[in-house]
Amino acid sequence: MQFSNFQEFIEMGGYAFNVWSVYGMFLIFLTINLYGPLRKNRQIIRELKRRYSLNAQVPPMSAGAGSQSSPGSETTEEERA
Amino acid sequence: MDWTWFHKWGSPKWFYELSGKWLPWLVGAMVTCLLIGVTWALLFVPQDYQQGLTNRIFYVHVPVASISLAFFPLMAMAGTIFLVWRMKLADVVVKVAAPLGAWFTALALASGSIWGVDTWGTWWVWDGRLTSLLLQFFLLLGVVSLRTALEDSEGAARACALLSIVGCINVVVIKYSVDWWNTLHQASTNFTLATDQANGPEIWVPLIFMIVAVYLFFAISLILSTRNEILQREKRAQWVMDLVAKS
Repeated sequence: MQFSNFQEFIEMGGYAFNVWSVYGMFLIFLTINLYGPLRKNRQIIRELKRRYSLNAQVPPMSAGAGSQSSPGSETTEEERA
Repeated sequence: MDWTWFHKWGSPKWFYELSGKWLPWLVGAMVTCLLIGVTWALLFVPQDYQQGLTNRIFYVHVPVASISLAFFPLMAMAGTIFLVWRMKLADVVVKVAAPLGAWFTALALASGSIWGVDTWGTWWVWDGRLTSLLLQFFLLLGVVSLRTALEDSEGAARACALLSIVGCINVVVIKYSVDWWNTLHQASTNFTLATDQANGPEIWVPLIFMIVAVYLFFAISLILSTRNEILQREKRAQWVMDLVAKS
């Protein structure tokens, strides 16, 4: 252990700004790049759920894509949005 | 030779299921290494006789900066696989790696700058290492914006793959910049196993923990983004519909 008390640990031998800002940025970097994709995953699943239930309400639209009927073109329009 | 593994790896569904099983283990290993590494680096590593306690920055700067050099080779490899074998999953990797690589490079530059301000006496200098790493940052932003700028997704995928391959040249420049131009950034340090050396195990063992932790973080973040991209690209596939219905 390089420090005899907590105060010394915070002061970092006069380099508190340098050390703590780097470790702070490191923490932010880890959080953004882990929490970000996790949150996006929930968003995607929510969005797909909505889209699938929307498609299920239109009777002629089957699960297989590629039909030329009007519900099909509706899907592509929704995609662009 | 049996090539089924190659086709399996190209299957988004297979990747999604397998990576889902790996993730908890990877996260567990990362948290363990990170806790050991950070605690050791901050509390127990001896002071540097010249730099004092700023040597703590080393344990963030070195792992992040060295792993930032892995992005272009990774993207070039994935890009080549996409160009040659048309494997869609490889293009997904090229796409999601670019922004993460920009984050890594940015943190490497920022942490180095904050370290340099007191040890070198300057935030920035147009040194070979610093300049080539800054170029990598802009190249990665270039790959990200190329993807959004080109409307044709097939064309964008090919252009990004090509730029990734070209960008590897800069990685070589970054790697050897400290030997070619002897300006300010120090050359690589040789760590020895002997305990009586200046850079003995009490310096590099915590570094190993940090490097492993940051590598695991890199893998986890990349896998999470790849899974998101797969869901979006495969939204018409039955297995995605089943998966969404279950969740």
